[in-house]
Amino acid sequence: MPEYADYELTAQERKAKELEAEAALKAKVQGGYILESPAEMTPGYRKALVVQLTVQADTELMSAPAYWFAARHAPTANTQVSAHAIIQDELAHANIAYRLLEDLGESKEQLVYGREPHQFKHPYGFDQPLDNWAELVVANGFFDRAGITLLGDVHRNTSYGPLKRALVKVDMEETFHLRHGEVWMRRLVRSGRTASALLQRCVDWMFPMTVEWFGLPDHLKRHSGQLDYRLKGLTNDELRQVWMASTVPLCERLGLKVPAHYCERLDEYVLDYPFPCEYDPDAKQWLFAEGEISWNQVFERWKGRGPMNEIYVESIRRSRDTVASWFN
Amino acid sequence: MTDPSPGALGESVYDVFARKKRGEPLRHVGYVDAPGDALAKVYAWKTYDEENWFEMCVVPRRAVLPVNRHDGPWGK
Ligand SMILES: [Fe+2]
Ligand SMILES: [Fe+2]
Repeated sequence: MPEYADYELTAQERKAKELEAEAALKAKVQGGYILESPAEMTPGYRKALVVQLTVQADTELMSAPAYWFAARHAPTANTQVSAHAIIQDELAHANIAYRLLEDLGESKEQLVYGREPHQFKHPYGFDQPLDNWAELVVANGFFDRAGITLLGDVHRNTSYGPLKRALVKVDMEETFHLRHGEVWMRRLVRSGRTASALLQRCVDWMFPMTVEWFGLPDHLKRHSGQLDYRLKGLTNDELRQVWMASTVPLCERLGLKVPAHYCERLDEYVLDYPFPCEYDPDAKQWLFAEGEISWNQVFERWKGRGPMNEIYVESIRRSRDTVASWFN
Repeated sequence: MTDPSPGALGESVYDVFARKKRGEPLRHVGYVDAPGDALAKVYAWKTYDEENWFEMCVVPRRAVLPVNRHDGPWGK
């Protein structure tokens, strides 16, 4: 809200004052200042936080139906229990992020029930079907690892106090999801050739899927508000490297081939395929042979959403209106 | 700022407090949206199951009265 004296200012002066306020807050949070309420935010900070929390909430929410459809493939009662425990965690994580959004004045009602399926902001990976037990455990090993890579960084670095505290539970549980994935990947590899081949097939489509999830490389990324406002600590490329630094050695130990390797000269992980490239969701295959595409083409594919998008969203919302009508 | 949208099922916010062990402080661990006290307790117990809590309670957010600042989630 503009102060009384602001009405005396020209539009240009007001703009300069706003920019000054944004710059002051950026400097403050870079110095370790923690915000505790929306009243302390500038419009720029609030906007960047809402975008970040929306992606976080939608990702947690959409992982639930993806895992839920796949949990049907659990081989025993105990694996059913652990698969559903993970789904329960994801729904709780989603609730936490939507709650934080409500405290910023956004509406969970509108976000969860008022949007078209393609308007959700989760990654393209959670628009894909997970068709067998191996795919579910690799999703835990890869996708949940991406989750903990991203959220662990937010937890350590965010300048928003309520989010920092909420992530204690989330991080703890994501670590469990990741272990579940790793332990099962190891078991499947040991069980012999059939399962190893199946696992390799999962890695072939899910590894590049997760690499892409981290988004635009730093040299193409325009300025990041999330870094300036200290809503996270690492850049997209740094986060992608963190993920690869644990995923590539894991796969190598298991004898699984991944299209990436550690380069000593650059002291980082390097991809062995054109990045980014096109994906055929029906065949679950990356079209390496067709070469590199532009990031605009990637954004087009993401915007078009994947094969399970509408099915997953509808699975979460289907009975709500019916039950609500019983009370009205 | 209280719950801006109770939703079609008439839910409202409850804050969840818990302590891990005897002698530890009760700490804010999260929140649930529930249509009443009884379900708020169930949701909290089933949702915040990351620890073996010694004690847990839920408080309807509207019952929390801010004393010195009114700009946080408990402000009105
Ligand atoms: Fe999660
Ligand atoms: Fe997870």
